[in-house]
Amino acid sequence: MYCVSKLNCKKSISGTITHRREIVKQIRAHRSMADTKSGRHASTSAATPLLVQSPENLECKNFQEYLRTRQTPESLEKLYSYPPICLAVFRELPEIARQFVIRILFVDQPVPQAVVSSWGAQRVAKEQLEATNCLSALSVWRVTAIPGGLAAWELSPTFKKSVRQVLLGGGKPWAITNSLERDSKPRDVAFLDAYAMSRWRCVLHYMVGTGNRSNTETEAISPDAVRILLHANLMKRDEREGITITRQGFQFLLLDTRAQVWHFMLQYLDTCQERGLVLAECLSMLFQLSFSTLGRDYSSEGMNKQMLMFLQHLREFGLVFQRKRKEHRFYPTRLALNVTNKEAAEASISVDEERMQERGYIVVETNYRVYAYTDSQLQVAVLGLFTELLYRFPNLVVGVLTRDSVRQALRGGITAEQIVSYLEQYAHPNMKLVESAIQSKSCLPPTVVDQIKLWEMERNRFTYTEGVVYNQFLSQNDFVTLRDYAQSQNVLVWQNERTRTMVVQKNGHDDVKRYWKKYSKSAG
Amino acid sequence: MVNVMKGVLVECDPAMKQFLLHLDEKLALGRKFIIQDLDENHLFISTDIVEVLQARVDELMDRISFPLHEKDP
Repeated sequence: MYCVSKLNCKKSISGTITHRREIVKQIRAHRSMADTKSGRHASTSAATPLLVQSPENLECKNFQEYLRTRQTPESLEKLYSYPPICLAVFRELPEIARQFVIRILFVDQPVPQAVVSSWGAQRVAKEQLEATNCLSALSVWRVTAIPGGLAAWELSPTFKKSVRQVLLGGGKPWAITNSLERDSKPRDVAFLDAYAMSRWRCVLHYMVGTGNRSNTETEAISPDAVRILLHANLMKRDEREGITITRQGFQFLLLDTRAQVWHFMLQYLDTCQERGLVLAECLSMLFQLSFSTLGRDYSSEGMNKQMLMFLQHLREFGLVFQRKRKEHRFYPTRLALNVTNKEAAEASISVDEERMQERGYIVVETNYRVYAYTDSQLQVAVLGLFTELLYRFPNLVVGVLTRDSVRQALRGGITAEQIVSYLEQYAHPNMKLVESAIQSKSCLPPTVVDQIKLWEMERNRFTYTEGVVYNQFLSQNDFVTLRDYAQSQNVLVWQNERTRTMVVQKNGHDDVKRYWKKYSKSAG
Repeated sequence: MVNVMKGVLVECDPAMKQFLLHLDEKLALGRKFIIQDLDENHLFISTDIVEVLQARVDELMDRISFPLHEKDP
C-alpha cells in the first residue's frame, strides 16, 4: 500500500531549511585585538563572547521562523484551517519536505516512520532529517503509534484538508475573487508601481523625519502606522525629541524594499489583536493577495468589517490600490505580491525593481566629499545619517564624511560595513570607470573606505566579555582539571597556568561550579 | 579552595590597558574598578563600570583626534 520505491531526492536548491534571507549584515568586521601572546586559548576564540551591552540588532524572520517562534501548535492548527495559509506554508517548505507532504497527502492512515525515511538515499540523510524536523516544528505532521508498536507520521488533519482543497478546488471560494464588472478606467502596472512606491516611501520618509515637514509629495502617516513603528522598535518615543528613529530603524532603512515590507507586516500582525483583527484572517488575506495577479482588479464584496479595516491599512502602506475608501474594487500592488518568497520574487521582479529603484547617484571623492545627484528627500535623509551636508541644489547635494558624522552614525547602530556598502550600492556609474575602481573590487576611493573602517575600529579598541574569574587554586592539579573541563564545554575565555587563574563565560559559570563541587567532593 | 568573582573581561592593546590602569590609580571614575590585572592584553573589571568607562574612552579619543577635512577650502 505504501509507496516504498527509492525516491531520488535531489539536493534542494534552496539548500537548508532556513532560507537564505539575508539578515542585515552585522559584521563587526574589525574586532582586531590581537589574540597573540596572551594565554587565550585558540579554541575559545571561535566561541562568540557575550558582549556586555550586546546591542539589539534588527531581526528579520522569514515566514517559517515566524510560525515556529511566534505560534503554538494550537494556534498553528487554527491557521491551517485557512487554505491560503497552507498553500503559503507548503510553498515555503524545503523541497524534500514538499515531497513528503505530497506523497502522504492522499494516504488516509499514518505512514510508518521507517517507510518515510526509506524514501531518500543515504547521501541525503542530512537534508531528509532537516525536512523531517521542519515538518514537525511547523506541526504539519505529528507522531502517532500504529498497531504493531511502530511510530508513524500523520499529517495534521486540518492541514491535509486545506492543502487538498487548494490542489483540487472545492470549499468556499476566496473572498477576493468575486466577479466584478469591468473597470471603466483600469489601472496599469506602471501606475500601480508608482503608487505603491510613493505610499511606501511615506513610511520611510516619516522614519527619517522628513514626513512631518509639510511637503507636497509626502503626506504624514496615520497614528496606527506610527504605533506599529513604535511596537517594532524601529522608532522610539523620546521625552525630549518626540519620536525618533532607533538603531533597528537605521538598519531597516538599509534593507531592500521587499524585506522592509515583510518585516513591517510581521510587526503589524503582532499587534493585530489589539485592533480587533483575527490573526488568521489577516494572514489568509495577505496570502490571497500575494497569490493574486498584478494589474488585475479584485473585489472586497462580502468581506467582514475587520477585513475591510485591514484592507484600508494595506492601502495606506501601498500594498493595495483603491480609488475610494468605499469602493469595492482594489488592485494588489507589487509590494503585496510574493511577500514571503524571496526567490520567487527575485526572479520575477528583478528587472522592474531596477527600474523602480534609483540608479547610482553618489560620487565619493578622495577628499571625503560626497556628491549625490538626487532630488529625493529620502535619499538625502539617508545620506544625512552619516555625512555632514554642506550644500543643497535642486538636483545635487554636497556633503562630506567627517569623523563626527560617521561616529554619529556608528553610535546610531549603523556599522562601517553598512555605510560602505550603501555608498557602493548607489555609486554613480562614472565612479566605476575610474582606474582604481577597475583594478579593485570597490569603486570607492580606498582611503575613504579605510578611514570609515578605522573610525569604527577606534570605537572597538576594547572587547568586553562578561564572565567569572576563578583564582587562588590550591593545587596545579585542581586548576588543570577545572580548566580542561571548562575548555571541553567551550566556555573558557582566558587562562594562565602560571598564576592559576581562569575566566569562564557568564553562562557557563553554573555548569563549571557544579562540576567543581562534584570534583572537590570526590577528591576530598 | 577556589575564589570566584563576577565581572567583565576586557581585551585591549597594551596602550589602552595602561590608560585603564591610569584611570584606576587616579580614581578618575570615582573608585577602583579593576578586579585583577591578568596580562598585558587582559584586565578583569567590575561590570557596573563599563558604561562610564566607554564614555570616558570616547572622550579620550575625541581629544586626540583632529579634523581631516577643512570645510571651506
